[in-house]
Amino acid sequence: MNEEGNKPGQSPEEETMDTRSTAVTRRQFLIGAGAGLVVGAAATAGLQALQPAKPVEQAKPAPPVQQPAQPAPATAIVEPVSGAKLVKLNVNGLDYSLAIEPQTTLIEVLKRDLGLTGTKLGCNGSMCSACTVLVDGVAQNSCSLLAIRESGKKIVTVEGLEQGGKLHPVQEAFWTQMGYQCGFCTPGQIMRAVELLNKTKNPTDAQIMAHMSGNMCKCGAYPNILKAVQAAAKQMA
Amino acid sequence: MAREKLLGPLGESHARVDAPDKVTGATRYPGDIALPGQLWMKTLYAHRAHARIKRLDVARAEQTEGVVKVFTARDVPINEFGLIAFDAPVLAGDVVRWIGEKVALVVAETEQQARQALDLIEVEYEDLPALTDPREAMKVGAPVIHPHYANNVLKHVPIRKGDVERGFAESDVIVEGAYYTPMQEHAYLQPEAGLAYLDEEGRVTVQVAGQWTHEDQHQIAHALGLPDERVRVIYPAIGGAFGGREDMSVQIILALAVWRLDQMGIHRPVKTIWSREESILGHHKRHQMWIRAKWGAKRDGRLLAAEVEVIADAGPYAYTSTKVLGNAAVTCTGPYFWPHARVDAYAVVTNNIPAGAFRGFGAPQGHFAAEQQMNKLAKRLGMDPVELRLKNVLREGALTTTQTPLPGGVVALPQVVQVCARAAGWKATSTERHVADENLPQGSTSTRQPLATGYGFACAFKNIGFSFGFPEGASAAIELHGGTRVERAVLKIAGAEVGQGGHTVFMQMAAEALGLPLAQIELVASDTATSGDFGSASASRSTFFAGNAIRGTAAAALQKWRDEERPAIAIYRYQPPATENFDAATGRARPNIAYGYVAQVVEVEVDTETGQIRLKRVWCADDVGKAINPQLIEGQIEGGVVQALGYAITENFVTRDGHVLTPYFSNYLIPGVLDVPERIESLILEFPDSEGPWGARGMAEMPFIPLAPAITAAVHDATGVWFDELPLTPWKVWERLHERSYTPHS
Repeated sequence: MNEEGNKPGQSPEEETMDTRSTAVTRRQFLIGAGAGLVVGAAATAGLQALQPAKPVEQAKPAPPVQQPAQPAPATAIVEPVSGAKLVKLNVNGLDYSLAIEPQTTLIEVLKRDLGLTGTKLGCNGSMCSACTVLVDGVAQNSCSLLAIRESGKKIVTVEGLEQGGKLHPVQEAFWTQMGYQCGFCTPGQIMRAVELLNKTKNPTDAQIMAHMSGNMCKCGAYPNILKAVQAAAKQMA
Repeated sequence: MAREKLLGPLGESHARVDAPDKVTGATRYPGDIALPGQLWMKTLYAHRAHARIKRLDVARAEQTEGVVKVFTARDVPINEFGLIAFDAPVLAGDVVRWIGEKVALVVAETEQQARQALDLIEVEYEDLPALTDPREAMKVGAPVIHPHYANNVLKHVPIRKGDVERGFAESDVIVEGAYYTPMQEHAYLQPEAGLAYLDEEGRVTVQVAGQWTHEDQHQIAHALGLPDERVRVIYPAIGGAFGGREDMSVQIILALAVWRLDQMGIHRPVKTIWSREESILGHHKRHQMWIRAKWGAKRDGRLLAAEVEVIADAGPYAYTSTKVLGNAAVTCTGPYFWPHARVDAYAVVTNNIPAGAFRGFGAPQGHFAAEQQMNKLAKRLGMDPVELRLKNVLREGALTTTQTPLPGGVVALPQVVQVCARAAGWKATSTERHVADENLPQGSTSTRQPLATGYGFACAFKNIGFSFGFPEGASAAIELHGGTRVERAVLKIAGAEVGQGGHTVFMQMAAEALGLPLAQIELVASDTATSGDFGSASASRSTFFAGNAIRGTAAAALQKWRDEERPAIAIYRYQPPATENFDAATGRARPNIAYGYVAQVVEVEVDTETGQIRLKRVWCADDVGKAINPQLIEGQIEGGVVQALGYAITENFVTRDGHVLTPYFSNYLIPGVLDVPERIESLILEFPDSEGPWGARGMAEMPFIPLAPAITAAVHDATGVWFDELPLTPWKVWERLHERSYTPHS
């Protein structure tokens, strides 16, 4: 089993990053991640500069999984890496200057600091892709991106797809084809499909399925998700 | 039965009413809701399968920066909860009986502070022997895990019909088998979360994702020692449920924290969000079961006698185990007529994660054994499995093993079997197989390649609702506003939208019952403050119960409208015919109100070099009574098939000594889009149920139930090997194929 909660196929070493001359694994980062670390938002669209962020939404790894019949090891407490960095993000067309602690993930910034709750956190480990957003046009799992490394990038979330009050063709297709059941994975599915159709006109079914294959749906709405992407592809061709 | 003339949008695939919000990200799930001044709560779990708490010290944790309060068992007024029995502690005070037992709650300014303070809580445990195999736990002399349950047996259901010994003596063929079905994790994508606060009327209010608002309310109120009306439960959007939200997760602990803080003069909301690992460790699982079956039949295929033993692992507390066990006891002999039957089903207390509701509720386990037995019998008799079913399925008026006939209109078992087989071209695909030598690999098209193809058949039945004497019912209210004409109608109903499209169907049925266009219906749902008790959104019961409640309410509201009341307001509670629990000695009972019927044909491809099984095509015939929204029904069939595919093949829930070794999606593999069959053919049949609204039966669990045994039958067809144990992971399949010296390339 995967005791450390690493992503499949990655060793802890691969995840190690050298930050501020202290080598810390991402896992340790997250264990030590600071809630309540003040993150300011300054948007060109008139948001207040450097207002303290409300802790709106966070989710972090659970207590460590333990070996049977052993005393519970204490959770490693890693001191939060001090010192916020100034990060510039363009989210859904708005420019933000944000003071962000190095250990903060992109989804935390989106949900907690910008109040964009449409993006969903399903596993916090790139195993379900419910948190998919576009980063410079590329679909990425926002639970596994450190926000400071995305400075200068353009982020699009499900809230940013509507244009002039009109739904994106992919949104419309998920509606008409009932491309969801509970809807929790839907924002991620939609963003993943948008990426595909932005790049590929008239994709084959095999292309659609391969492209969408990392986005889990436990309701099993896959046949309708496929239909929705096919319908949107026609619309966008 | 003549079809009723439909006035409104019933039977149309109306678009879902929640679609606009769900495709734009506007839908709020519990974790998406925030209130000013909210505090964060984190839970300390025991991570011990069985232990005595010798010392619990929260002083250091309470002194940590940002921590507002730490709660323990001492803070719970009535420290017990449970859906069927109040037998589980809200917070463990003396003994922990499973790894996810909650020991303390930290409330802090931030989630980070709450999490860090967990590590400063000092707990000293004395480990006790952990019993994790129910077959051992039920032995005489085993240590007793829970004082309520002598011999660790939570429930024993005996069923006695006829004379089994005589039946076996008269049988020409005996088939025996031992089967194992594993635990299964619900893995809904939305982990448990919630927000609690005191509302404007001072009610302890919890916004959470559940399946039964009023039961959550009742269990919270019980633990806090409050009358029910002082507690309010609201469901915002729910990110999947599948039975996994039927029992308590964060409901009581959130309410406890906000209520205790209020008494301390701290009037702030409290929020919690579980991680994926907490979700997997923290809520109940599908029961693992060990089933032994001995069946006797005549040479012509007539079933004579069945003797079955079912051992279900309940975990340490009752949850819904007694009802799940009831279903397993009724379904372990399949949807067939038996002159003689003897069933002994046991739910056994262990130190594993508690077991509870999960789509199918005992019927998938029961049918796995029953349908394996049936397919093996067909093989032994050299008879077509479909023909064997048609000889034995329960028909109108035939007595079940509980000695009463199935209720409600047409018993459409022969129809679902025939329609499914015909649609799949069963004869064409099966001819060659049935003349082939049983000992050879029998893939119909590719016996000399690593890929072997096979076909399998299975059918099933399951009850609608909990029943077995449970007092079922559902309430609704309707307000009609307007002057000379009704301008708008408000439907108030507590039924949960768990993703199945329930709210869309409720509105369609209200429009139909009131003779109004759907656009004039408003829905106020899932709030104990606005509606009476609906019961659970589970057990395939929502459409059936909501429809009957809505019809009754609409009739009463229209009468008041004709009496010139403005607005015309009616409240009504539907109560179905009473049912009976099993007789303690013989199991005789009229246990259920209504049933659903289903049959499936599957095509699989087995890679004999890797042991991988691919489900290629599925035909599913489901008698739904009346299809209120066909597109939603197809969604339930497809979703049920995908979830059952996970159960049968990919989802391997591994525990050791009560600890979970698969708490991530990286090692607990739920099906992805590439696992989905190329084709899932939904065959929707409409044989009206006499008690169902517009004839509708429940249907959402049915497509799950026969899939696993249909797959194992197809794998046998392809390889000549029976697999009596789920899931069919590649290594298990490969090992068994090679054990048999199976050499497909020779």
